[in-house]
Amino acid sequence: MSAVSALGRRLRGDYEIDEWGHDPDLVDLLAPVVRPFMRVSVEGAAHVPSSGPAVLVANRRLGLVEPFVLLRGVRQATGRRARFLGVPDVAPVGPWLRRFGGTVNRPDELAALLRAGHLAALPLGPGLRKPLRAGALAPECIAPALAMDVPVVPAAIVGGELTGRWDVLLGPPVPRPTSRGPLALAELADNARSAVQALLDEAFPPRWPFS
Amino acid sequence: MRVLVTGVGGELGYQVASRLEADPAVVELAGLDAKAPRRRVRSMKVYTVAPMDRRHILRAVREFEPTALVHLGSWEPDARVAPRMAAERTSAMAIAVLGAAADLSSMDRLVVRSDITVYGRKRGSATVPDESVPPVPTTPWGRSLLEVERLAAGAGAAAGVPAVSLRFAPLVGQRFPSPLARFLRLPVVGFSALADPAFSVLEVGDAADAVVAALHRRPDGPLNVVGPGAMTVSQAALVGRRVPLPFLGPEWVVMRRAAGMVGVGLPDHLVELIHRGRTADGSTALSALGVAPARTPDVIRAVYGWTKPPELSVVRGAA
Repeated sequence: MSAVSALGRRLRGDYEIDEWGHDPDLVDLLAPVVRPFMRVSVEGAAHVPSSGPAVLVANRRLGLVEPFVLLRGVRQATGRRARFLGVPDVAPVGPWLRRFGGTVNRPDELAALLRAGHLAALPLGPGLRKPLRAGALAPECIAPALAMDVPVVPAAIVGGELTGRWDVLLGPPVPRPTSRGPLALAELADNARSAVQALLDEAFPPRWPFS
Repeated sequence: MRVLVTGVGGELGYQVASRLEADPAVVELAGLDAKAPRRRVRSMKVYTVAPMDRRHILRAVREFEPTALVHLGSWEPDARVAPRMAAERTSAMAIAVLGAAADLSSMDRLVVRSDITVYGRKRGSATVPDESVPPVPTTPWGRSLLEVERLAAGAGAAAGVPAVSLRFAPLVGQRFPSPLARFLRLPVVGFSALADPAFSVLEVGDAADAVVAALHRRPDGPLNVVGPGAMTVSQAALVGRRVPLPFLGPEWVVMRRAAGMVGVGLPDHLVELIHRGRTADGSTALSALGVAPARTPDVIRAVYGWTKPPELSVVRGAA
């Protein structure tokens, strides 16, 4: 019955989308279809602010599935809808991903999301060859978080597409930089990357050959 | 304030003038346009001058000697005139009016109409730009308005007064000649099958409120004025009980021709809106002007509630 009413709503155009093209009605409609293929457990959800803007900095391998895992995990653990940056601005992929909360990775786009009070997920550099290594984060990407004094929450995503099981580990907000000026930005980016690496190390402690 | 409003023959100009007429801070009001307003504003002196007639425009501005100038005299392509004529008129009017204002010692504030089209939608550009994002227009309408903004900033600097450019989301209103509203009210509404991005609009009455608020508060620089929320073209068509028709690539040529045959021109900036979307961050204007525009979905629903269709007459031919 709810599927029928949802379909009726879609046919009447009676649903909300936002300025970035995010369509929460469509996301909720497709959630039951995705559920069997994406089982997500979340630890540390208390670190995500219950309201107001925040940046989630997360690792990725190729980055195709991880953003959706993070969004789904955050949604089921906190009830908040997060956005992710890094979609290509090319049709039809870009506009389609925007429906699910994606947007282009630009500092001014992140700033606009934060001004609107959103939770924005910023990806680290890809780690296809070394999935347990947090990738790089360009300092300018995170500049709006520093300028607007928004909490930066590290997130480690581990799991696999083949099993469909994923763990999302969320850490406490990274400490504010002690430096000033341009160094502050670099310090915040380093802190965020290190915090994600610490979460990955916690999930998979390094194994030494003779231990 | 002695206020001169250009573009007073249009719906936005009329709405601004009628608000200023009731404003106790306005001691004298004048309007300037190529044609007189359709409805009378009792206390307003009207200068009817051709947009290309620089000599008469200069004389009118100098004679009235305003303390505040509201420049709304810009022609949106395919709204009332063909695109080429629109660009020529917009440029000529801006040079004459803002040039004259720069020389006046009486001037103390300047308000100019612009549009969020000035940001452009190049690949990879910001989807929801705020005023700090540099404008890179990608359509003739955007380039025309950015030129007007530059002229206004130059005139403001020369006269030593604040000059605000109000970058409106696409304007719609029952009596406002909007190519977007005409397009959305067609029985069959084409949308981009591969993208169907989000766009925002602004009701013309909210734009008039923003102009009046800008006159009083005297902000400087650009301000985005946007109805919160967004819609896609296909969604708008469904809301209006129109038939949404997906289009790909070259089929748009057919759509443009078909729409043109029923008097609905699809200018470049409208085609860009349909393919790439158009919206902006209006939060700064909200605090700077204290005007809260109606939400985009509500305005779009109102578009389909109009009993009278938006004007269809578009003048073709040389300026």
